[in-house]
Amino acid sequence: MSEKVLLKGNIAIAKAALNCGCSCYFGYPITPQTEIGEYLSSKMQEKKLAYVCAESEVAAINMALGAATSGAKVMTSSSSCAVSLMQEALSYASSDELPIVLVNVMRAGPGQGYIFPSQGDYNQATIGGGNGDYKIIALSPSSVQECVDMTYKVFYLAQKYRNPVILLVDGLLGQMAEPITIEDNPYPNIDNSSWILNGAKNRASRNIHSLEPNPKKLEEHTLKLHKKYLEIEKNEVDWEEYNCENADYIITAFGSMARIAKGVSDYYKTKGVNFGVFRPKTLYPFPYERLRELSKKTKVFFDVEMNLGQMHKDVCQAISQNSQVFFIGRPAGEWLKQDEIIKAIDKIFEGQYATSI
Amino acid sequence: MIKSFIISGSGGQGVLSIGSILANIFMLNNLFVTYCTCYGAEMRGGAVNCEINMSDKEINTLQNEKVDFVVALNQASFDKFISKVKENGTMIINSSLAKILKPRNDIKYIFMPFSEEATKMGDIRMTNSIALGILAKLLGGFNFENVKKGYEKILSTKTELIQKNIEAYLLGYNYKMGEM
Repeated sequence: MSEKVLLKGNIAIAKAALNCGCSCYFGYPITPQTEIGEYLSSKMQEKKLAYVCAESEVAAINMALGAATSGAKVMTSSSSCAVSLMQEALSYASSDELPIVLVNVMRAGPGQGYIFPSQGDYNQATIGGGNGDYKIIALSPSSVQECVDMTYKVFYLAQKYRNPVILLVDGLLGQMAEPITIEDNPYPNIDNSSWILNGAKNRASRNIHSLEPNPKKLEEHTLKLHKKYLEIEKNEVDWEEYNCENADYIITAFGSMARIAKGVSDYYKTKGVNFGVFRPKTLYPFPYERLRELSKKTKVFFDVEMNLGQMHKDVCQAISQNSQVFFIGRPAGEWLKQDEIIKAIDKIFEGQYATSI
Repeated sequence: MIKSFIISGSGGQGVLSIGSILANIFMLNNLFVTYCTCYGAEMRGGAVNCEINMSDKEINTLQNEKVDFVVALNQASFDKFISKVKENGTMIINSSLAKILKPRNDIKYIFMPFSEEATKMGDIRMTNSIALGILAKLLGGFNFENVKKGYEKILSTKTELIQKNIEAYLLGYNYKMGEM
């Protein structure tokens, strides 16, 4: 086993990206993810890899699209308001079926907001702001160790499905250091020789584009993409359960909030109340089925988020009609702390319905 | 058992250096650690602080309402964080740059003129390591080899400073509590 090191989430992501063969990075600095680009700027030069500090986020992600057509493993990273600028390119990349990795270390919105911690980009990641029937795979780590493990995974999923993938990281995790071990990339390389643009030597020419003036062909293409999404939904759903078996109550949370939720669960355990924690690791595809199964036994859910209820609607959609979900959240600015969540839950127990703190 | 810490001072005082050294020492002792820094550290004179959690179990309390220990290297840090100390918690204060006042009576205070002691050593930059020595003494159970390794990890490129910092650490560590 490798030696333990104390690393910030941002640096951990950058190291893991290099480890699994990321050979092109395009980015534009923005707090709280700037360390990713800063770290890669020197390392990629040492290794003679492609690093471009682009003139804007729009340029950065479009450079990533271009580089991906060549079969290179590409990454860009940014934060909330700047990821908004990238939505058009994500729709194009989905249609072009380009394996792009986009790391979004979230800050507070809406608009420019500020560098405060937030989980306000759940909708942006899972629904998106681009046009057309497209889906972006989205993973959300809850520890610095998972920042490494999931970086490996997002590169793999991007290549496997030829689809853009978002790593949605809480600002806190990007900035927080924890002891981690960096093992080798466990995933195999995917053969991309059938589609990449590498010069038409000894083969027919290829092109990659999303423009399709033939209605029949466009429909076929979109249905093909849709079929791929169904495949992703079948194969790649991932989640973590903490004391969920026989739980009287279950807290649903993603990212670092799920850890705070575990603290809440531990607190109620000392009071003799069984609280489970359910954490989607993949936000798209969302673990609807497992949550529905759990809701057959557990009738009351608390959805806890650092926003005003974005994953909430997915939890509501997942659980059976006989269960109910209370939402506990807080928009960006101050951190939603364990004590506040417990206070909110106790209030709900007393019959005072709380929608937000 | 989880213990939480805030180390605070102004840019250039080495707040983040001892913060990451302390976090590394915990890691080398096979404990769980989270280490968060606040923005502002890039500016000399700007307010800097970091927050550390340490536990023998997985840490789920990532942000604390209040902490067990606050190390304040100047007056602004004392004023800002005195309300963040838990009842019966401890505040370690650099009395060279902060007034010896005890506005709360439910916490312990340790005042020591770190900056003056560091100047006596011939290098005011050692202020932070003296403070770390005191904190280590209060916590107990520090393996000195791991302390050395912690310094080596953070100051690896500045070998000449490691020995000096460890001397400063020991000065703090061996300071008699009665003198404070």
